[in-house]
Amino acid sequence: MLLKTSLRSFLAHKWRLVLSLLAVVLSVAFVAGTLVFYNTATSTFDRLFAATASDLSVRKAQDELTADSPGRASTVPVATQQKLAAEPGVEAAVGNVFSSSATLVDPATNKVVGPTSGAPTLTGNWTESPRKSVDITSGHQPQGADQLMLDADTAKKAGLGLGSRLRVIAESGTHDFTVSGIVTFRTTNPGAALAFLDTPTAQRVLLGTEAYTSVELFGDGSRSNDELKTAALADLGSGFDAKTAAEQQKENSAGVGSFLKFMKWAMLGFAFLSAAVGIFLIVNTFSMLVTQRTREIGLLRAIGGSRSQVNRSVLVEGLILGVIGSTIGIGAGLGLAVGMIQLMQATGMNLDSSSLQVTWTVPVVGYAVGLPVTLLAAFFPARRAARITPMAALLDHAAPAEPRANRIRAVLGLVVTGAGVAALALAAGSPGSTGGLLLGLGLLATLTGSVVLGPLLVSVLVRLLGGLLPALFGPAGRLAQRNVVRNPRRTGSTAAALMIGLAVVIGASVVTSSMVGSMTSQIDKSVGADYVVDGGHGALTPAMIDAARRTKGLDHLTEQRNVPAEVTLPDGGTLRTRLAVSNADFLRDFRLPVATGSAEAVFSGGGLSVGQDFADEHHVSVGDQFAVNYGEGRTQTLRVAAVIKTGNQLFDQRFFTDSDTVANAMNGQLPLTGVAFGTASAGADKAAVLADLQKSLAEYPQLVVKDQAGYKEMVKSQFDQLLAMVYGLLGLTIVVAVLGVVNTLALSVIERTREIGLLRAIGLSRRQLRRTVRLESVVIALFGALLGTALGLSWGVTARAVLSEQGLTVLTIPTGTVVTVLIGSVLVGLVAALVPAFRAARMNVLAAIATD
Amino acid sequence: MTTAASAAHLTPVFEQNDVAARARQVTKAYGTGETRVTALNAVDVDIERGRFTAIMGPSGSGKSTLMHCLAGLDSVSEGRIWIGDTEVTGLKDKQLTRLRRDKIGFIFQAFNLLPTLNALENITLPMDIAGRRRTSGGADRAWLEQVIDTVGLSGRLGHRPGQLSGGQQQRVAVARALAARPEIIFGDEPTGNLDSRSGAEVLGFLRRSVDELGQTIVMVTHDPVAAGHADRVLFLADGVIVDEMHNPTADSVLSRMRRFDGKRTS
Ligand SMILES: Nc1ncnc2c1ncn2[C@@H]1O[C@H](COP(=O)(O)OP(=O)(O)OP(=O)(O)O)[C@@H](O)[C@H]1O
Ligand SMILES: [Mg+2]
Repeated sequence: MLLKTSLRSFLAHKWRLVLSLLAVVLSVAFVAGTLVFYNTATSTFDRLFAATASDLSVRKAQDELTADSPGRASTVPVATQQKLAAEPGVEAAVGNVFSSSATLVDPATNKVVGPTSGAPTLTGNWTESPRKSVDITSGHQPQGADQLMLDADTAKKAGLGLGSRLRVIAESGTHDFTVSGIVTFRTTNPGAALAFLDTPTAQRVLLGTEAYTSVELFGDGSRSNDELKTAALADLGSGFDAKTAAEQQKENSAGVGSFLKFMKWAMLGFAFLSAAVGIFLIVNTFSMLVTQRTREIGLLRAIGGSRSQVNRSVLVEGLILGVIGSTIGIGAGLGLAVGMIQLMQATGMNLDSSSLQVTWTVPVVGYAVGLPVTLLAAFFPARRAARITPMAALLDHAAPAEPRANRIRAVLGLVVTGAGVAALALAAGSPGSTGGLLLGLGLLATLTGSVVLGPLLVSVLVRLLGGLLPALFGPAGRLAQRNVVRNPRRTGSTAAALMIGLAVVIGASVVTSSMVGSMTSQIDKSVGADYVVDGGHGALTPAMIDAARRTKGLDHLTEQRNVPAEVTLPDGGTLRTRLAVSNADFLRDFRLPVATGSAEAVFSGGGLSVGQDFADEHHVSVGDQFAVNYGEGRTQTLRVAAVIKTGNQLFDQRFFTDSDTVANAMNGQLPLTGVAFGTASAGADKAAVLADLQKSLAEYPQLVVKDQAGYKEMVKSQFDQLLAMVYGLLGLTIVVAVLGVVNTLALSVIERTREIGLLRAIGLSRRQLRRTVRLESVVIALFGALLGTALGLSWGVTARAVLSEQGLTVLTIPTGTVVTVLIGSVLVGLVAALVPAFRAARMNVLAAIATD
Repeated sequence: MTTAASAAHLTPVFEQNDVAARARQVTKAYGTGETRVTALNAVDVDIERGRFTAIMGPSGSGKSTLMHCLAGLDSVSEGRIWIGDTEVTGLKDKQLTRLRRDKIGFIFQAFNLLPTLNALENITLPMDIAGRRRTSGGADRAWLEQVIDTVGLSGRLGHRPGQLSGGQQQRVAVARALAARPEIIFGDEPTGNLDSRSGAEVLGFLRRSVDELGQTIVMVTHDPVAAGHADRVLFLADGVIVDEMHNPTADSVLSRMRRFDGKRTS
């Protein structure tokens, strides 16, 4: 019975519930889509790794310290491969040569071939291994010193084919090849570029010695992988490392997984944010439905309906909405997942959309989002409906005004907001982890407080500035002004939805623009170098350094290398880090902010610098001795020569030392240079020198060669990308918020049908009517935007202060963004009003007057 | 009225200038085929200027339809209608809106006022919409004060409709209709929702505005007592004007209605 009346009421109001349904659908679809996408992507990769992993992969065991320094690839001797091949139970032992630091370049265009960010470019040897990820689909395998095979996706993207020339820039130098064959991935292309040479060529180009990077064993089935592993390790003795197929899969999956996981959580975060925003929309819808049905509910109570019956009937209606919305949303989520997979394909990660992974968790999570959202949203309107007295049936006014925002609300809102502001103020004064905690608390409290205070602020604001509307827009202004305040709660919660999205956008953009601003100011303050040469993924080889040094008008070029080391402190503690190794020229390129000691002493042999933070934490001062271990038994003692002031990201948490000193300890085998800095000779034309420097390094298109301004621009553009992603995802939240404005206006127009008829009868023109709706919409949107901006700014400013010791030394307010948001909100208001205003103006005057 | 007199030679359609609204052969039909209803059937009517006209008739006889057509709220199927010297039939929405705003006043049975505006704001709403300043023009202002005075609402001007009784609300509606000085005021059962005392108040007020202010009023009503306040009563039955009566009283209207009922049942 109850279900039947609820269902009937639901169907009767189905058009008024359309946007609420859409809000549920969007949120659920985003959650479900993200899960399906994530499951599909991980399972694709799992299958890829499972299909290609050997039974046992054997490598040289490496000291962790030297494992990842450029130019020092460790190798397995050919003899080891032969020994392993003779092991019992081994069918094949394939010697692999692979490198991810080589760059592929199209000599015709001098452009880098393959992905420039994210996925790697792998260059290696072509072997006949039983489990391959690729097949040769045209041409033939590489034979001899000038042939190379490329994967089809990369070839297609770069416009290369059989017979094309391709250059490989490796640490050993530059080598040119002809494409002899094209390979295609068997299952899926994870986005990497693959280039194959024949084994001797690969060894020469990539390793510089006749050896392998790993030996891959394939068993004949007589022994398990673990048995193979035990036997192989026992046979080879110490100094080797072996991984079974399962271990390889786990390692590979973890690599891809962390990226996918980040994506998953980011997207789920925004999905939940949009669900939260959707709640406001649904609350408004149900409140309006209850208000419109006041008389009907009063009648129901008058003839003996109980409170809980009324309450339940509204809740059940919410439940119906939730069930339908979640179901559609889960379906839409599948479509969204396919869309995301296609989007990933565009960026180079080929996933298989034909085998979507829909596990039982998808519907469960879908309903777990959709149902609580609608039930929670229906809760307050349901309670209000239950409080309607039988007297309401006798009231003449079909739509009584909502109870005025009351004192409790004011007190509660002020207290919570006040607490939030206090927390933020405290947070701003205490950087570090306590600050972070306070920031989080303040964020939540100010957000809640603003939502609670919203309706009151609407009234206050309209009272203060309300006179402007009639003054500027005549009678339409007056009508709009009155409509905005007639249901402060409705206006408040509609604006709140917009406020949340915008607050996050503004907060994020304050933080990022402060990052850029701080970085720029730190570069200005401390960098004297005119140019920077960055190796990107690879390192700078001596040939590159030499080429750069030959540039006319370049005074000097300072190399900086990152040397992994284990440092033992005077107090006995140890620390794994990378020393920033350079020479005295470094001081001509950078102004080290020395607190105590001398910067010159750092680079004059046996010296080391530490940061102020580190020095304070570990009670280190100038003159203290550090024992440094570079791995493979190479050690050295360094003396603290300077303590560097903190607050500059370029220097924070870094240990500078002298390259000659470190080279001594490492028998001259320093890792390759990561980045180099140059300065123009006095009197030289800096722009001309930059052009010359770029020309000198033209044959290495993978290098980043910039002057200071260009470098800042590059740093900024990296943040821009991050910000664009955040904005893109937040777009969803704002879409839901805009739907909320449309929803409120559309329902208000229906609710005010008779008023509109009356107004039209006494001579309000269609244009004036449309303008009234538009103004109301713009006021709501602008109100939301103002609150959102205020909140976002306070969050951003506080977060900046909390992070000031992490290098956010400068506060930069993105005025452009703020102005855009405010202007954008006016546009949002205008757009949101389009349909409701059109419908209001189209209303038949007579029919409108006749409705009850 | 001098304006109407000078307009007369510009619009030869009118022989007399004491007609505020005129309908000629007006037919209004709803629906088509089987469900076709003829609400008005070739109606000719002249509403005299400066007089109080009541329209009576059984339910469904087409009273509201006639009024809506005369006021330009509804379109006609056939025939022509004029308000003053303006032909209503054939006007576009924009012109119709302007006509309603400048020349016509309305009083509905209920829900006449905007709940968000107070009494005074409701009264001046048509002028606001037209962009006429309330304060400008001493004549307008004086007129407004006179109207408010006559309706007897001076103490209640700041109240919202929700704070006024039904009778007071209707009086505000009447004041609104009068304040803009329209050529003609239409009322569809303006006292239908009121008890006899407040109904009488409103009717007395309408009467006075005709006598003292020279207003033209057309009122649809079921109530013979209400019709008794009018100068002239038109009787409508099945979309046709079947009779009229001058200087009616409640009793004479009542007996005329009885006669109709008798005819119908016989
Ligand atoms: N929108 C419409 N669609 C179809 N028929 C209509 C419509 N409006 C009115 N009618 C019909 O036109 C006829 C006249 O209706 P009208 O409303 O003018 O009557 P009335 O005299 O005002 O009656 P009442 O005294 O009950 O208000 C009636 O038969 C009615 O059913
Ligand atoms: Mg009627």
